[in-house]
Amino acid sequence: MRNGMVYAATLVAGAALLAGCDKATSIPQEARGDGEGTIELAEYPDRPYWGDTHLHTDNSIDAFGFGVRLGPEEALRFASGEEVTSTTGVKARLARPLDFLVIADHSDGLGATRRLYDAPRLLIRDATLRRWHDMMHESPQQSQRAVAELITAAANGTLPDGLTEDPEAQAEATRDIWTTQLETLDRYNRPGKFTALAGFEWTLMPDGNNLHRVVMFRDGSNRTRQVVPYASIDTRVEQLWDYMDAYAKKTGGQVLAIPHNSNVSNGLMFELTMPDGGAMTAEYARRRARAEPIVEITQIKGDSETHPLLSPNDEFASFGVAGWELGNLPLTQRATPEMAGGSYIREALKRGLSIEEQLGVNPYAFGVVGSTDSHTSLATGDEDNFFGKHTGNEPAIKNRSLASQNLGTREGRFGWHYLAGGYAAAWARGNTRAEIFDAFQRREVYATTGPRMVVRLFGGFDFTESDWTGDWVRAGYKRGVPMGGTLKDKGKVPVFLISALKDPDGANLDRVQMVKGWVDASGELHERVYDVVWSDMNKRARRSGKVPAVGDTVDRSTATYTNSIGAAELRSVWRDPDYRQGQRAFYYLRVLEIPTPRWTLYDAVRFGIKLPADAMADAVAQERAYSSPIWLKQKKHK
Amino acid sequence: MRRPDWTGEPLVHFLVAGAVIFALFAWRGEVADPSSRTISVDREQQAQIALGFERMMQRPPTDAELDSQIERFVRDEVLYREALRLGLDRDDAVVRRRLAQKMDMLASAQAETARPSDAVLHAWLRAHPERFADETRYSLDQLWFASETAASMAVEKVNGANDWQQLGQPISLPASLDQAARDEVLARYGEQFLAGIDRLDPGEQWQGPVQSGFGWHLVRLRARKPGEPRPFSEVAERVENDWRTSTIAVRREEAYRLLRDAYRVEIAR
Repeated sequence: MRNGMVYAATLVAGAALLAGCDKATSIPQEARGDGEGTIELAEYPDRPYWGDTHLHTDNSIDAFGFGVRLGPEEALRFASGEEVTSTTGVKARLARPLDFLVIADHSDGLGATRRLYDAPRLLIRDATLRRWHDMMHESPQQSQRAVAELITAAANGTLPDGLTEDPEAQAEATRDIWTTQLETLDRYNRPGKFTALAGFEWTLMPDGNNLHRVVMFRDGSNRTRQVVPYASIDTRVEQLWDYMDAYAKKTGGQVLAIPHNSNVSNGLMFELTMPDGGAMTAEYARRRARAEPIVEITQIKGDSETHPLLSPNDEFASFGVAGWELGNLPLTQRATPEMAGGSYIREALKRGLSIEEQLGVNPYAFGVVGSTDSHTSLATGDEDNFFGKHTGNEPAIKNRSLASQNLGTREGRFGWHYLAGGYAAAWARGNTRAEIFDAFQRREVYATTGPRMVVRLFGGFDFTESDWTGDWVRAGYKRGVPMGGTLKDKGKVPVFLISALKDPDGANLDRVQMVKGWVDASGELHERVYDVVWSDMNKRARRSGKVPAVGDTVDRSTATYTNSIGAAELRSVWRDPDYRQGQRAFYYLRVLEIPTPRWTLYDAVRFGIKLPADAMADAVAQERAYSSPIWLKQKKHK
Repeated sequence: MRRPDWTGEPLVHFLVAGAVIFALFAWRGEVADPSSRTISVDREQQAQIALGFERMMQRPPTDAELDSQIERFVRDEVLYREALRLGLDRDDAVVRRRLAQKMDMLASAQAETARPSDAVLHAWLRAHPERFADETRYSLDQLWFASETAASMAVEKVNGANDWQQLGQPISLPASLDQAARDEVLARYGEQFLAGIDRLDPGEQWQGPVQSGFGWHLVRLRARKPGEPRPFSEVAERVENDWRTSTIAVRREEAYRLLRDAYRVEIAR
């Protein structure tokens, strides 16, 4: 028997002969580059642009095995508002298109499962690989089992040789996929309309502890073609930064990295020390700050803002924590309380202040975004359109909220622990690669758990209520700094202009909170959550220092809610009541919606499923937005 | 030289390609019938086996290794033919799906890699101008009110007022948009508002109240300009994207229909 592909190739060659040589259609020059000079820009960022910086397609080693058969092209079509048919046959179209998308397939074994799937069985020597190959062909369920095994093997460092360790073949395959993908991105990149950014996920996972980063490029294919995605196996994070530095030097382009899922890193994502346990050096802190200006705070695999252990006085600290808090990604190691500090972002921002005091540089001065981490090629972020973490739990599947997860179900992680995913909002002057990337670089971005609230934050020293009557956005930029910015402490109380506008097609707002973290004179770290402004303030007066709950309109039997409570917009001018001169501090906003159904409740109603008590208690939640912080900076350090 | 039109037909490619394969089988003397009990491993086949080995091991096989690989190949071929003889390929979900997928791939492979000519794309644009037209553009002024009553009561006051901007309730929404694309209106004011103003006739009068997710609006819809078709040069890559995705699906379906028509399908009801 000869390989069937030989005949396929013959056939294609025959067909190509008949078709003759057609003239190539060229992609417009302005779509190929970073977009500078292609459109007219606003004077200052005048609206948030919405995107997902973390989407997997069939080129990802796990996504393909989970069953997805949609690739980068379908991913781009869907994100930009076109209709596609999902792998499980459901037609899908976003009611509101996204403005930008980063396709972030795993650099390790890019396309490898697809190749394993397509490989003639004869050529697969390794017994494990051959078994996976057979399982992938047998049925979707078996395929998902194979990938669960594969992820565990990757996490434990026991991947079979031949999947990724044939360096030349892998490098060639990676280059092929990358080059094709860059051209696809250019084809869908439309300055002013839709921005398609190149990226990949670098999936470092020592002992199953999640240190993953999404790497995102500013440039078009003329530059990105000069490199290939950097694999994580047997590397350290400094080597990723070396790769990024080398890219910038070689091409003159720009690139940044976005850590994610610190919540399953078992304390390793934001350590006080170097990764090897030694004292952190200023050089390491500086490199980290430069390479990683943004982190992902919320996504399908849980929310990483903070944990009740770290923020016992924060009554909203437990959102998206259940299940994920149990341990590392494959749950090969349980989490202990002392690990929490290195796993959550609010604590990391605090640690950054402390390290800055000692080293003069803050490695953890980052802004935040939300994203999906969807492995379905579909960038869905809303509760009522959750297309699943991967193809094994797309919406046509009845018991997906109760079903076991691929990772750690025996230890207590279930489908209902998945969040519907988040989105990234970028305050930019226009929708181009350069403008979106630069917003990330200056941290003028924010995160939501899906809803498209419009959140403005300006910090300064002289804002007053009368600013609302004029062009307050201009005033914010002229007399202050936007989110992501830095204020120099001059002995004056910092004052903030705050506005949160609800998602026009979503739920009303409950409240806006300011989260402050600071380091006191003795070097001790503190945090405090202030209720700044809330709906119906005259009727909801504080009781024993707390703002009463907004209420709950969700009908559990129909998965519906009404906007009869809450507000359309909440605004405030807020002065820090606890300001002390000389204090290093950060301030970020948390905006809460009124309670709404989670995807699990929509599923329960649609399929007539009875959720167990713990899942039911979690089936209604207050979705939220997190702004990037503004820092109050001191001139000198000790 | 200009080729006749029929040579451009994908279905013709499909059929011709099938004929090519058949001819190839015949010419190679390969017997499609698995009942043959002759297995010839010619030089070319041996080279294939050696190449497969080399890809895995990063070096060519020694003579002994090649012999053992050939032996393995022969063993698989014997068992494969016997399996076919016993009909083991039937009722096997994996084999069935794999072969079906290969047929689909054959039908669409050309569309996936082809560079369509400008003529093809021009025709595509002419056939679907609405897909590549500009978005509808809106020029409007709006005032926001928390309640419908407040909005209704303000209508008279707003009409003819020069200081109209002061007459609504405060909210961080743009009071005016000029020539804004449909998606921009959608992003800023939401679906409900957009549907609402699509029911209004443009004019200089304030109209409403129009409901949105925020509350109620009085709207002066100064203009609503439907999108104009774009010249080919500005939308070429979008036309190609659209042509490609549509064509792949169409070719698969056409190829399938062609084969399907030869069957009579009986489904018990």
